[in-house]
Amino acid sequence: MELTVQLIIYGTLMGLVFALIALGLSLIFGVMNIVNFAHGEFLMVGMYIAYLLSTFLHFDPIISLPLAALAGYLLGIMSYHFLIHHILRGPMVAQLFGTFGLMLFLRYLAMYIFTPDVRSIRTGILVGKVLTLGWVSLDLSKVISAGVCLISFGLVYWMIYRTKLGRALRATSLDSEAAQYMGIDTKKMNALAWGIGGATVALAGSLLAHFYYITPTVGMLFTLIAFAIVALGGFGSITGAFLAGIIIGLIMVLSGHLVSELKFTFIYIVYFLVVIFRPRGFFGW
Amino acid sequence: MRQLLIDIFSFEDRPRYERIGFLIFIIIVIIFPWIVKSAYGRAVMIKFLLFALFGLGWNLIGGYGGQVDLGQAKNVGFGAYATGLMMLWWGVPFWITVPVGMIIAAAESFGVAYPMFRLKGHYFAIATLCVALVWKELFVFWDWTGGARGVEIPIRSTPDFIYMQFGSPIHYHYFIFFLFITQLLFMNWFRKSKLGYECQAVRDNEDVAASLGINVYRTKVIAYTITGGLGAVGGSFMTVYYLYIDPDFVMPLDLSILIAMTVMVGGAGSMWGPIIGSALLIPLDMYLGAWLGAKKRLGIDFMIYAVIMMVIAAREPKGIWGIIERVRKKRVG
Repeated sequence: MELTVQLIIYGTLMGLVFALIALGLSLIFGVMNIVNFAHGEFLMVGMYIAYLLSTFLHFDPIISLPLAALAGYLLGIMSYHFLIHHILRGPMVAQLFGTFGLMLFLRYLAMYIFTPDVRSIRTGILVGKVLTLGWVSLDLSKVISAGVCLISFGLVYWMIYRTKLGRALRATSLDSEAAQYMGIDTKKMNALAWGIGGATVALAGSLLAHFYYITPTVGMLFTLIAFAIVALGGFGSITGAFLAGIIIGLIMVLSGHLVSELKFTFIYIVYFLVVIFRPRGFFGW
Repeated sequence: MRQLLIDIFSFEDRPRYERIGFLIFIIIVIIFPWIVKSAYGRAVMIKFLLFALFGLGWNLIGGYGGQVDLGQAKNVGFGAYATGLMMLWWGVPFWITVPVGMIIAAAESFGVAYPMFRLKGHYFAIATLCVALVWKELFVFWDWTGGARGVEIPIRSTPDFIYMQFGSPIHYHYFIFFLFITQLLFMNWFRKSKLGYECQAVRDNEDVAASLGINVYRTKVIAYTITGGLGAVGGSFMTVYYLYIDPDFVMPLDLSILIAMTVMVGGAGSMWGPIIGSALLIPLDMYLGAWLGAKKRLGIDFMIYAVIMMVIAAREPKGIWGIIERVRKKRVG
């Protein structure tokens, strides 16, 4: 019983982090109908920023949060201007391979700089601390990460649904051409979607780095997790990403407890089943 | 029957320069082991032919069919494991394990194609990727496949043509060349067959294809099934060539990507695209990898790959063959 409660809490916490990871993917897909295979690599960049700060500059890795978000934002904008903008009008195959190329580039750039060694962050105010609430003891870094992710998610949600900029973004995602006639700079909106996507996922990466191992190839796993979440929540849906993130977090933690070798296999199977039986997901259109 | 043979062996419908180029290529491959004596050079050639073989198979669904499949490695794995396990357990001759591997891969492809082709585009591509990853994790998880330790093929004392184990790379060279030519001739037949034209019609425009009376769904499923079978052949070869297989070696995601990429770079949907793509990327990978690996510069080779990929995607989605075609049209017109 206690174990079950602990697993459910842990799954929910992971789910909140996953939700923030999936947010950017969903947003990018919603705005310009393109799937970003390099999404997990943006996360990896965030992880390495946290690692660099804590290991070489001896700062607390918590300081890396805004830096990672900024780096992710710039990386997203740059990816849009140098690559995505040029492949948007091409055939779908070209789009797929374009973002795939971006993924390989970032992954092997990291491998070149950091070698394939598995690294982890060992110092920091959150690392290794345990939070005890009654009989439930939780990893403090996971609690804080989940909290930060929840707040960031809320901020992006507010920006998209309550500000003028967000309205322009939504208009672009509904009908890019019509939005352009209304005087919205759709190119800027596309770049903004990439910027927000990059910033949120890199932020999640710098949080994950507190309790997850860091390698150059870690991104693919999170890309696939994000795909599963976005498929489950509905491609392009922000609310869907939030709920589906928590569901996937719970599935991963609970199935991982039952058969630890296959915890990611279940996520792939969930993706497969969802896209086949309910391609719109929960909240997709 | 006569028409079938003509369809298989005739390249008459291709322009003259293509046929001459193809002939030169064949001659180079045949005399290659006598010119190049270095073991590494020969290994590069064998790997090139292997990936050209993979590319030809993938081109059926990815090029002619226009469906991006990012899970071809699972079929390679099925072929490799069918050969490896049957040899290990029962000592079955190689030539029996190949069709078995093909049938297993084709059956699995048929099984997953059935629900999967309700999806299109990105959704389909990601689904193929997920299926391949599930299989890989299962092969690591299961005990009867040898798990992560993999399968080691018992080495025979004498080389023979039944188990296809040879002492010298020259034999392997002609062996993979034989498989490659077989697949090439099959593709030569395929592109002129009814199914081939149906695939291309589906790729170009599904709605138009459907309105012409083509069963789009059925065409895709058949194409995907055949691709599965073709992918297994190279897997079987890998088993007897490397004599050791494990899931990370024969069914990783990187393999799926590399197979798809050689075809994309060379030119998807053209007869020669997979060959051109492999001829460019495989030597680049092997020589650059060896040279940089010695200097402890991991990853630069893949970064170059990635840049090629992005440039191709942004500038020339039809690949190198697209560039060649365009230059030729300019000169003719």
